[in-house]
Amino acid sequence: MSKIVEISPTTRHEGHSKLVLKVDDAGIIERGDWLSITPVRGVEKLALGKTMDQVPKIASRVCGICPIAHTLAGIESMEGSIRCEIPKDAKLLRIILQSANRLHSHALHNILTLPDMYLPGTDTKINPFSPQEPVRSVAKRIQRIREIGQTIGEIAGGEAVHPSNPRVGGMYKACTAHAKTKMYDLAKEGLVLAHEQMDFMIAILRNYQKRDWAEVGGKQIPIPKTLGYHNQGYMAAHPMYGSSNLDDCPGWNPDRWTDVRPWDWYMGEGEVSLADPGYPIGGTSPVGTKVNPQMEACTGVPLYDGSPVEVGPRARLVQFKNYDEKGTIGQQIARQMEYPDCLYTILNALDDYNPNGKILADHIPQGDGSLGWAANEAPRGCDVHLAKVKDGRVLYYEMLVPTTWNFPTCSRALTGAPWQLAEVIVRGYDPCVSCATHMIVIDEDKRLVAQKLIQ
Amino acid sequence: MAETIKKEEKPVADKITVGHVHMSGCTGCLVSLADNYGGLLTILDKYADLVYGLTLADVRHIPKMDVALVEGSVCIQDKISVQEIKETREKAAVVVAVGGCACYGNITRFTRGGQQNQPQHESYLPVGDLIKVDVYIPGCAPCPQLIRNVCVMAYLLLKGNKDQQELAKKYLTPLMLLADRGTEACGCDLMYDVVNQGLCMGCGSCAAACPVRAITHEYGKPNVNREMCIKCGACYAQCPRSFFNFDVIPEFEGIMDAIDAALK
Amino acid sequence: MPLMRHSNEVREMAGELGKYKLCVSARSADKAILKRAQDGGIVTQLFKFALEEGIIEGAIVAGPGDEPWRPRPFIATTVEELMSASGTKYNISPQVSWIKEATRSYGLDKIGIVGTPCQMQAVRKGQLYPVGLRDVPDKIKLAIGIFCMENFSYQSVKQLVEDHAAMKMEAVKKMEIGKGKFWVYGQRGQVVQLPLKVTHKYEQPGCHVCLDYVANLADVSTGSVGSPDGWSTVFVRTRNGDDIWSKAIAAGCFETKPIEQVKPGLELVTKLATEKITKNQKTVEERAKFGVNKSLRNPYLGPK
Repeated sequence: MSKIVEISPTTRHEGHSKLVLKVDDAGIIERGDWLSITPVRGVEKLALGKTMDQVPKIASRVCGICPIAHTLAGIESMEGSIRCEIPKDAKLLRIILQSANRLHSHALHNILTLPDMYLPGTDTKINPFSPQEPVRSVAKRIQRIREIGQTIGEIAGGEAVHPSNPRVGGMYKACTAHAKTKMYDLAKEGLVLAHEQMDFMIAILRNYQKRDWAEVGGKQIPIPKTLGYHNQGYMAAHPMYGSSNLDDCPGWNPDRWTDVRPWDWYMGEGEVSLADPGYPIGGTSPVGTKVNPQMEACTGVPLYDGSPVEVGPRARLVQFKNYDEKGTIGQQIARQMEYPDCLYTILNALDDYNPNGKILADHIPQGDGSLGWAANEAPRGCDVHLAKVKDGRVLYYEMLVPTTWNFPTCSRALTGAPWQLAEVIVRGYDPCVSCATHMIVIDEDKRLVAQKLIQ
Repeated sequence: MAETIKKEEKPVADKITVGHVHMSGCTGCLVSLADNYGGLLTILDKYADLVYGLTLADVRHIPKMDVALVEGSVCIQDKISVQEIKETREKAAVVVAVGGCACYGNITRFTRGGQQNQPQHESYLPVGDLIKVDVYIPGCAPCPQLIRNVCVMAYLLLKGNKDQQELAKKYLTPLMLLADRGTEACGCDLMYDVVNQGLCMGCGSCAAACPVRAITHEYGKPNVNREMCIKCGACYAQCPRSFFNFDVIPEFEGIMDAIDAALK
Repeated sequence: MPLMRHSNEVREMAGELGKYKLCVSARSADKAILKRAQDGGIVTQLFKFALEEGIIEGAIVAGPGDEPWRPRPFIATTVEELMSASGTKYNISPQVSWIKEATRSYGLDKIGIVGTPCQMQAVRKGQLYPVGLRDVPDKIKLAIGIFCMENFSYQSVKQLVEDHAAMKMEAVKKMEIGKGKFWVYGQRGQVVQLPLKVTHKYEQPGCHVCLDYVANLADVSTGSVGSPDGWSTVFVRTRNGDDIWSKAIAAGCFETKPIEQVKPGLELVTKLATEKITKNQKTVEERAKFGVNKSLRNPYLGPK
């Protein structure tokens, strides 16, 4: 008979989320629901009536790990609405910023995911903060890669976390020739480290793939060969940067997107019937805890051609490079494979970049209310913003962020795995839950509100 | 994993315990902490054990700790958030509000609910409106070096000798007074509390500090584009006429050397 | 927990002239610099040396702005750019506003900055409390402070020049405060001196709470007071400042004289510093009882 286990909150990713898992007698997940418990800050609604210049700055602050994606998707959806083409050198600075952010973000994700992995040839899991070798050298390399990414981002984008330089119509400041040289030097150094880091991570991941078991809470849990497999499709707008409605051949199509209620996608009311106080650290939720993902996760589930899709590194590799490895490890390896191109893209853009070029459009229209959209390939997947701007003010704003796309897809990918490895699958998506503000657990009193909304 | 860490490596006895508590923030503050790069590893080696932080460690419930770094404002329509922030106050000796959201609300000051599927999530309060906050680190994102300085000073305050404690107290005082000052911040503070008070001398610190380029100088005095300001509090806190402590800042060379040496 | 120390207690701690390792009278050894210099060409010469030696990659200086004698902070990365900024403008140039941008789109890792005592305070506060100055604190490699009794708004200088001195702004060749007078020199050779009591009402209000005359927090601070015409008084204050100054001396950048051997010497500097600080200390105290049981803010007591 199936039992329900709840892991709340999940750890080692951005934001608050939880897992509700229906498992069989052997502890294998029959059906898994992964949902966010991060409060909804309502950026799409607070944007209404504000200026097109301010809204992307606010949107950036939805997420501190992929703020570049939100800034650029936000700005470019505004530019898409007002039909404003930006100068080439402004675009190049944005591309540099974008690639630098991906470099830092992938490296940060290595820190979050390494504790699930083993040092090859041992049964010792990796603590990335350990001062022992060989781990310390890896941690230092990760931090240096991040420093290179963040510093390049800071030069091109003004700030490393929430970039201040991009603006509707282009950029505020051009980078000088000196700054260009500095970015070039950093990228060259980064390229060597990125190759090393990619090789290291792929070795670590392949080693995990070869293992029969992983230790969780003192128990040896068998690792299925199909860990994290799903049969949903993939969606990506561009290998590195993104696309918008101003492109000649747009990489994303708003007509193929539907937003539906979670009713069809999540489990109904239930009660936790399996608990493991030994699950690290603090145990799973106690037996008797009420769960109701169908009601609790009152999200809009974005569908592309009518079904959930996976977005992120593997989606990009599948779409543009015929990559074909499934499962969590396949997904993680795809992420590592993106390392070098972050730097090649920066180097190529720097070659083209003219420090004396124009970086702001001559004319910035104020908008007539037409729909604009921009699909930015954030580190963790396609981040689509849609906007309508009239007289410089935002009339409509929608953010379809990577983790929102991935929530239902990842939930499907949990099936067939031992429940103790569910978080390993979740982490494979490099989730950014604060971005995905559309899902929430609510308490007794508020269920009525949600129910009305759903019906 | 953290359990194994504890088993494998006995934590250094005189480290302080630090946690990262995530309210409604964006994790950008945590990224800033991590952007001390090699310095972060040194801090964790020598001075602080990270005992909580959902993004970095597997501990699922707020433990007792010396210093809680709180990121994000609190959605008062979300019971879990309200409960967790109260628990943070009970469990932590020192509560540091890190970043504009925790200190002043930042962009969540603009939130007014009505969004699917939690339209009732309309009220976000800075942490200081619900619990007593000891130290403020304003800004969006806050600066890695300021977070680092506060961590080092918190260590000296709790574990240092008498002189070190004295220095830490003096250093942290203005950031404690900022916490006392209140939970509202805006570019307007430059007008209310500096220019209107006859204190502005046109140095330009506010414009440099602004993370959204909302501040320009017109004939040497700040102009704030209020339709860009995100209410992070960086401009006012950076202004040398918001606070200027003569017992700390003139010692800049020695203090900076000491911090550098501590992180070597 | 004690609040911040009271400001006159602080003054006693540091002394009117601040901490310094060395004080000399100096002038640039470069004729081209001296020709355009306000006094001894110290700032231009020291930045030029630092740029050429790679100690800094650029310096935030006050260059020509949109109107005559209206300064605009900019980042000089060449000697020509540095030279274009020489001379004192006597009105506000928000130098610190560029301190972060220098590390961003300019890509500088080593920055020089010149500014008034309050701007040096801003820089040092920014290094110890970098609230919005990510990755800036360790990049300030040479901060040069200039002596300052008070500053003026652009409009103030305009009224002094155009009303009191009856000269058009664009016709002015040089302005100077010295020997108790505000001097305006015209392009055509005319010289007008205004008594300082005329200038008082035009002073920037924010200057009246300033407790620093000789830029106590700079690496190197300089000004005309204390030295003969064409020379400047120089305080070398920090270890870093000392290091750069010694190298510049070794490279023959400056002619120097011991400050004890020049007239009017340190005595005048001390006198003016004491006057400024005493007067402004009084202002700070008066602000505490400015209204009826209401105070104006005192930044030295905290941010409230």
